[in-house]
Amino acid sequence: MQRILLAIVICLITSQIIAINCYSVEPDEFLQNPKNELRARNISKNVRCLVCQNQSIDESSAPLAKDLRILIRRKIEQGNSDKEIYNFLTERYGDFILLNPLFKISTLLLWILPFVFLGIGIFVIFLHNNKSKKLDYNK
Amino acid sequence: MKKNILISPIILFFLILIIFFYLLIIDRNPSELPSVLINKKVPTFEAKLLLENNTFISPGEFGNETTLVNFFATWCKPCRDEHPYLKKLSNERGLKIIGINYKDDSNRAIKWLKKLGNPYSSVLVDPNAYLGIDWGVYGLPETFIVNSNGVIKYRLVGPITKKNYGAFVLKVKEVEK
Repeated sequence: MQRILLAIVICLITSQIIAINCYSVEPDEFLQNPKNELRARNISKNVRCLVCQNQSIDESSAPLAKDLRILIRRKIEQGNSDKEIYNFLTERYGDFILLNPLFKISTLLLWILPFVFLGIGIFVIFLHNNKSKKLDYNK
Repeated sequence: MKKNILISPIILFFLILIIFFYLLIIDRNPSELPSVLINKKVPTFEAKLLLENNTFISPGEFGNETTLVNFFATWCKPCRDEHPYLKKLSNERGLKIIGINYKDDSNRAIKWLKKLGNPYSSVLVDPNAYLGIDWGVYGLPETFIVNSNGVIKYRLVGPITKKNYGAFVLKVKEVEK
């Protein structure tokens, strides 16, 4: 019985690993230089596929995602830096194409608000605790 | 004073709820993206023409008059539905329309235009989607309105249909002013 369970667990874990490693990049897209290929993959993981909007172009098999993957590789081979490639993309598709929102004035609230709420929460709990302690003393 | 502080998270919560509810009920399609190219000059590019043995050079060919730039392909069904409305814009309003044949088979595109009529003043070929990426295209058809100074003023994602034709003509008139 234990062996069967173990086998099931192993199956589940390995299937997950395979699933995680399943990307849409096709072999003919790979660059010869492994270092450049890695750079292309890292950029692709941070670029949104605009057809299926919650996937990166690294995971998506949409034609536009493929076009953008090829474009990124072409730009790398032409000697563009990562920043230049991101700029090229955002100039055409907007900041929305980046899966990580940029830290700038218009997105400041987005980044800071969670911490503000955390602060408010701690403050409220602190106040509440103080109040209940006082009630205890009064007894 | 203390009571106010304790009640503030609840007020905040309802405020956020109202904002979310507002975003939910307004008529908004979250998959439709605004173009960042609005109020910018048309991209610089060179492209081969489909029907002539010549090259199209941008932005040189823009300006002087309001121009539509329409991305289309024979494999795109909505493009076919849109086609009569493009002809109407070209024939009735005399609008200059530049067609960009996106990732398509050139022979098929030539046949398609012969059969359905050609509303375009020039048809450019974009076999590798380079032009599409330059214009920030993410789904066909897409139509841009470019004003007489070569500045992009409006983008329509999806076809011109019976339903939105009137609104589209209004946009063109607005740009023509």
